[in-house]
Amino acid sequence: MTAAAAIAAWVGGSLILLSDGRRGLALGLAVLGGGLAGLALDAGHAFAAVALAAGGAGAGALRLREGADGWGIMPPGSTPRLILATVSALIALYLAAVITEGPGAGFRFAVPAVIAVLALRLLLGADRAAAGAAASGIALALGVGSLLSTGGAPEATCIAAAVVAAGLQAITHAEPDGA
Amino acid sequence: MPPIALVLPVALPLAAGAAAVLANRLGDTACRAIAAAGVWGAAAAVLGLWLPLRSTLEISLGTLGFGVTLGLRIDAVEVAFSLAIALPVAVLLTVQRREWRESAVIALATAAALLAVEAADVVLTSVAGCTAATLVVIALGIEQLDAPRPRWAILIAAWLALAWAGVQLQVGGGTAGYAVVPVSALTTPVFVLIAFAAVVGSGLYPWRGWASELWSRESLRTAAPAVTLLQPLGLYLLFRTYEMGNGHYPQAVLNIAVAAWGVLVAFAAAVRAQAAPTRRAYIAEVLPSLAGFAFLFAAVGSKLGLVAALIVLASGSLLVISLPLVAGRSGAPALLVTSAGVGVPAGLAFGGLLIGLVAAFETGGAIGLIGLAGVATWLLAAAAAARSIRLPSGWTGTVADSRPVLAAALAAVALVAGPALGVVYAAGFAIAGLVLPSSGAAPALTTVATVSTVLPAAVLLGPLLVISALALGFSRPMPATPRAELSPPLFMLAGARRLYRGWAMVRSVSMPDQYRSMFNARALEGAVAAGRPVLWLAAVLALCIAVTR
Amino acid sequence: MEPELAVALPAAGWACTAALRPRPRMALAAGAVFGAGGVAAILFSAPGSASTDLGVSLTITAAARAMLVVAAVALAFVVILAPARAERSTMLRWGLAGLAGMAAIAVAPSLDVALIVLLALFVLQAAALGRRPYLSRLRGPLLAVALIGLGLVFARMGGPPALQRIAAVGLVTGLVAAIGAVPFVQEFDAEEMTATSPMPWLTFVGPLLAVVVVARGRELIPGQVDVLGALLIALGLVNVAYGSIAAWRVDSAAAAWRYLFMADWGLVMCGLGLGVADGLRAALLILFGLLLVRLPLYLWSRQALRDNVQNDRPVNLLVAAALAGSAPFAGFPARVLLLKGATAMYWPLALVLAPLLLLWIPAGLRLGRTLGAPTGRQLFGVAIALAVSVVLGAYPQPLLSLAGL
Repeated sequence: MTAAAAIAAWVGGSLILLSDGRRGLALGLAVLGGGLAGLALDAGHAFAAVALAAGGAGAGALRLREGADGWGIMPPGSTPRLILATVSALIALYLAAVITEGPGAGFRFAVPAVIAVLALRLLLGADRAAAGAAASGIALALGVGSLLSTGGAPEATCIAAAVVAAGLQAITHAEPDGA
Repeated sequence: MPPIALVLPVALPLAAGAAAVLANRLGDTACRAIAAAGVWGAAAAVLGLWLPLRSTLEISLGTLGFGVTLGLRIDAVEVAFSLAIALPVAVLLTVQRREWRESAVIALATAAALLAVEAADVVLTSVAGCTAATLVVIALGIEQLDAPRPRWAILIAAWLALAWAGVQLQVGGGTAGYAVVPVSALTTPVFVLIAFAAVVGSGLYPWRGWASELWSRESLRTAAPAVTLLQPLGLYLLFRTYEMGNGHYPQAVLNIAVAAWGVLVAFAAAVRAQAAPTRRAYIAEVLPSLAGFAFLFAAVGSKLGLVAALIVLASGSLLVISLPLVAGRSGAPALLVTSAGVGVPAGLAFGGLLIGLVAAFETGGAIGLIGLAGVATWLLAAAAAARSIRLPSGWTGTVADSRPVLAAALAAVALVAGPALGVVYAAGFAIAGLVLPSSGAAPALTTVATVSTVLPAAVLLGPLLVISALALGFSRPMPATPRAELSPPLFMLAGARRLYRGWAMVRSVSMPDQYRSMFNARALEGAVAAGRPVLWLAAVLALCIAVTR
Repeated sequence: MEPELAVALPAAGWACTAALRPRPRMALAAGAVFGAGGVAAILFSAPGSASTDLGVSLTITAAARAMLVVAAVALAFVVILAPARAERSTMLRWGLAGLAGMAAIAVAPSLDVALIVLLALFVLQAAALGRRPYLSRLRGPLLAVALIGLGLVFARMGGPPALQRIAAVGLVTGLVAAIGAVPFVQEFDAEEMTATSPMPWLTFVGPLLAVVVVARGRELIPGQVDVLGALLIALGLVNVAYGSIAAWRVDSAAAAWRYLFMADWGLVMCGLGLGVADGLRAALLILFGLLLVRLPLYLWSRQALRDNVQNDRPVNLLVAAALAGSAPFAGFPARVLLLKGATAMYWPLALVLAPLLLLWIPAGLRLGRTLGAPTGRQLFGVAIALAVSVVLGAYPQPLLSLAGL
């Protein structure tokens, strides 16, 4: 279950990296949220899992409001992104399985992999919708990352992450310019 | 008097400066009077605090928050330097008209300079000294923005160096207090920083620095207070370094280095003075020459040397008032001021220079040789002074606020003080004893006793003074010298012109218009921020590799 | 309840000013009331004692509290003495949003929550209409969040010490990216409104963020505090050199201000990286000066920059002295503390720092002129800023005591 959840999280992040259309981004957010929720549930944080899943689903639903039409998954010219997503996964897998030790290998794979692919989404060029989706994805990843720590109210962190992830998609852009 | 009264020498000019700003609607004269009153009050407070007890008074007013305690101390050294700073500024503020902003800033700068001298701690001195330097530069800018003034960066560098020396004393010795720092903490690097601060803060270089250039300003109204406020601080640092080193600099070679620098400064000033085309250009070199001698004497390392430095400082304080007040004038006042400045027998400067050079010879070795150079420099300066009498004035028209009578009176005081050299020496001896303790009987008041000789000051200099007065009385003014008959410089330094031309060429070097600098911050910003920010990833990767090696 | 109120009241103030946008005076009044309430809540929060009224333990450190208070005072200062053509209610609205976010970052139970709040702030700022492209405004900040997030993850993984060092890299580079310093320089448009430009991160939110990230970072990777410090110092020196030279040589005066702030941040990073009390004091003193003196001066210079008015009056010379770090202004004791800390830790660092400190002078002289000829309220504001700088320079102990030093 852990492995499936971790892979699902990575797939969700990769979808955000590889998609240009609003549906692809929304699906990516939902899958990401689901994957991270699975990791949290497997670690015994049910409340956090529900929050993350809801956050991912909510962000995905709100993402459908604006952006390029359609799915836009792996458009022409996205091969470098695909390669980077794969390489990120391999590096994260190496980190989780070989370099690091202890329980929570799924977390150790998923969180760095997701953050890495979402950061790459921003650095390699993204429109407003994709950048927003990346931001929400990073929020969810930060939330689940807190579950790696021993203190600091991880449940509350996950709830905050979910709220922020969904809330970021609800922001309408272009306020009037001030003085 | 309660210990808190020790803040008065700083608080009075500070309050006066602030009051002058707030009361600017009352007019320039009123503000000037307020500022002057504050500075006179500071001088009076210094004397009022010290004279009753004539011993060291200290107070600590708590920590300021950056590793420094607001500690104030008044001892004889502080009194001497405070008066050397405050009295000339007070007189100049009183007699010279200036606008309210200049008066206020000069009063504030005086407060800062007095704090630098009264501070019990090296770091506090650096803060106050930097404040004084900043305010002096601002005052000069208020008077005339495009006229020569000290480079701000250089002045700040000097006081930052002193602050660095102070923190090194704190780190190495646990404290930077002048009286309590362990001798072992005063290392050579620390001394070098202090000496750098002393030299650069005073503007004393062998080449023509701001100490000379200030006197070429159209108005000397702010130039004189600027010199008064900044130059004594350099000498003050050299004095206090003896206290920190328990009467010694960390190494004997440092004494030689500072002494050599001092004589170089004096010699270079004398060379420029003897080649001066106008009296104005000559005047610009008088105080730097004396200051160079003061540095030389202070570095000799004996009490006699320190006393000589104090006497030269006192002469300089009288001259810094006289010089701007006699600017543009000729005749007896100019002659008296020039004589006082060069050390004509039997003036105060003469006595100071004589004692100082004797001190250098008595120390012997390299310092003795430097003393020889000092003698040659003095002779050259005297020749330059004699030549300057026949030079054109260099000022166009009458200089505003010139007070030839007052200038002549002050110069006369400097000259007639010569026979009283014994009294002055005794006072200086007591002051120098605070930083260079030694056993020995208190000096007599009519003679100056050195290791090798006894100078009968009153008996020798008194008749000389009478003879000089008679000579002046029987002299007649010479007719103005036509330009064609002006005496040429005594000599030109070989290679000086070439050096000057070379330096002018270096300064005029500029980039060709076609040159495009690689350092283009905006272009770099555009390249980094726009497009694909590869630099960001590369920076992170590089740091990761660096920390994991 | 104070930490909760410290977040809620400024947030409520922001909401009120946003809702009352058609009526600026009411917006200003409402924002002022809520903002003042928030400041009071911050002041009454006892550093170190936790509040669990919301079921989560919220605490604030002394340094963060001091930074919040100073930021609030700076906000009040610039709003009350806003330049003539500035819309005060807009400034207050943005300022309260920033203050609420800063308070949330300060009281957050963990760095993760603080990071999530930071992310929200970044996106909210980018959502407003600005002159720069949306992606350009968001890319750097989100990278910052990603880097700090990765740092947190690496810090929590069990494994070889190299992972903890990489965590230090993530934390430091993330912090530098968040404030927009070298090498994570963001695009800058001088005509853009200050609130939507990179400047708030350099001058308003950044100080608190730095205090929180460095403090939490030290707790997170106690075994690699030296690496954390070394990274801060290395990047600090780069920013000192680059920022001060660029502030002097760049053609645009508005950009010069930004580079001067970067140079100041270089000193801050050096101070934070030294790891000794004097270094921390120096860093905090520079940050306080940034908030209370340099930020207001920058805002007041914007109109003169637009009109291309330069002046060399005495007030401009005084401002130049303040910006150059000369005594008696706040910059000088900060430099003394830095030199002391550097001398105590590793004297060659002091040898490198000392000459670099002089580079502020040409930049200060240049930027002092950009204030133009301030009159009326603006002149009053400049005078107060300079007076505050003198007080900070002469007697910084009360503010440092508020920060627990």
